[in-house]
Amino acid sequence: MSDRQKSVWPPPATNIAGKLGLVKFKPDDDSHLRVIDREVCRNLCPQKFCTHSCPAQVYRWEVEEQVISIAFEGCLECGTCRSGGCPFGNLEMRYPRGGFGIQYRFG
Amino acid sequence: MSAHQIKSGSEPVPRPEPPRFEAIVVGGGPAGLAAAYTMAGAGMKVALIERGDWCGSKNMMGGLIFTDPTDQVVPEFWKEAPLERFITRRDLWICTNDAAIKGSYESEDFAAEPHNAFSVFRSRFDKWLAEKAKARGAYIITETLVEELIQENGRVTGVRTGRPQGELEADVVILAEGVNTFLTEKAGLGPGMKPEYLALAVKEVLSLPREKIEDRFNLEGDEGAAIEAAGEITAGLPGTGFIYTNRDTISIGIGVMLKDMVNRVGEAYTLLERFKQQPQVRRLIAGASAREYAAHLIPEGGLHNMPRLCSDGVLVAGDAAGMVNAVHTEGANLALLSGQMAAETVIRCRDKGDYSARALNHYCDLLESSLIMKDLREYQDVAPFLSSHPHLFGLYPEVLSAAFRELLTVDSLSKADKHRLILRLIRAQIPVRRMMKDVYEIWRTLG
Repeated sequence: MSDRQKSVWPPPATNIAGKLGLVKFKPDDDSHLRVIDREVCRNLCPQKFCTHSCPAQVYRWEVEEQVISIAFEGCLECGTCRSGGCPFGNLEMRYPRGGFGIQYRFG
Repeated sequence: MSAHQIKSGSEPVPRPEPPRFEAIVVGGGPAGLAAAYTMAGAGMKVALIERGDWCGSKNMMGGLIFTDPTDQVVPEFWKEAPLERFITRRDLWICTNDAAIKGSYESEDFAAEPHNAFSVFRSRFDKWLAEKAKARGAYIITETLVEELIQENGRVTGVRTGRPQGELEADVVILAEGVNTFLTEKAGLGPGMKPEYLALAVKEVLSLPREKIEDRFNLEGDEGAAIEAAGEITAGLPGTGFIYTNRDTISIGIGVMLKDMVNRVGEAYTLLERFKQQPQVRRLIAGASAREYAAHLIPEGGLHNMPRLCSDGVLVAGDAAGMVNAVHTEGANLALLSGQMAAETVIRCRDKGDYSARALNHYCDLLESSLIMKDLREYQDVAPFLSSHPHLFGLYPEVLSAAFRELLTVDSLSKADKHRLILRLIRAQIPVRRMMKDVYEIWRTLG
């Protein structure tokens, strides 16, 4: 493992909670996003790539529980997480049920 | 062949046959809507299935639409469609962190009807186009997610949605599901979009009074400006930023290649923040308030990353088919045109009573002889080239900016000394041999 891989991950540089507050969501009860194998996050991924690659900051590394938490309610449904945002392919994404999820007024 | 439901203690109740259409379109974006609109216009019984509350509610674009291809699908759309501004000026900015070299083309021709391009909002434009398709008789079914294509003996015969008893049957399914190709992959038509061929774009819509927009961008009336920027704004990663003027809002965004961003553990929204703070950008949007934030993937692999487009009972159109020419920011028009071609193919099949795989292959023939495949072929090497030549986005803008700055700074150097200094400056950073190699490779990639 390289030095870079071993280094402590930096937290995301910009907090986008304010940006997400502008978007309309209709959250479903259940998450349409899922971590496949928690061990991969714990043992193989010091960078916690998803916490940086997701443009909605849906994924957060909870240091105490040592898990990735998923704020699916704010998902922009872009598909980044399933298509390379996690280099380990450890995130499963479906679209939310019809009528749920993000609603763009401008788009 | 109907399934039976057994109610406890009573006779089996026959399930109603699934609704049957001549064609089903999956996805209410430009490709799907163009297809539904065209087929409905030929009197076909067509259903379009969209997972959002309305067609457009889950769509996003920079973005500009281009008059000619849109007119081909929806003649004289500009008379009714919700459009923002007609674009009279297009800028290309080469940026460093604190400087910009700008190229601009402005034309009175573009100011004359029917204009060349318009800034739009997908959520509004697609909603309008769906109404047009509905008015022609298309069934627009919203709030419904298609979960699977139904296949029998390798032939697609319909779709299964998330609704109870949610199967629908059709002679043909046009798959216009967008860049996240769930159904395309499930049906075995393609392996999905690879990260090295995907760009992630994030965008904000900022509101600003229209007088301010017209003042700052030097516009009259409903004229609009479109700026594409490249260089250090993407922190050495291949990508571009954009600024488009709308009526009383500005669309500003930035896109980077997904694989590059992940490898550098970077964040798209951080790049957007930096772009907004670029000195030349900041003054254009000063005082504007944010109204919406959006993110979307763009399939930029072209020919390298396309699924099978024609198969038994199914055609694939738009972003799901990877039809994007990233260099020219063309995706929506290719989607519209491919949706129309898919529709024309289905109409032809209906007229001949032949929906066989061979008859459906006419779609691929139409694509081949159209600008879609020609352009994709022409630009097929661009995305890999840019990814493998990131210095075009970092080093070149920096050197160019330094050269301009030196040229334009009046100081105590003689002009001859100045010219020598500039040449030395350029050659120190970019040896002649490397520059010639780059020029040659650019020519080869585009030629």
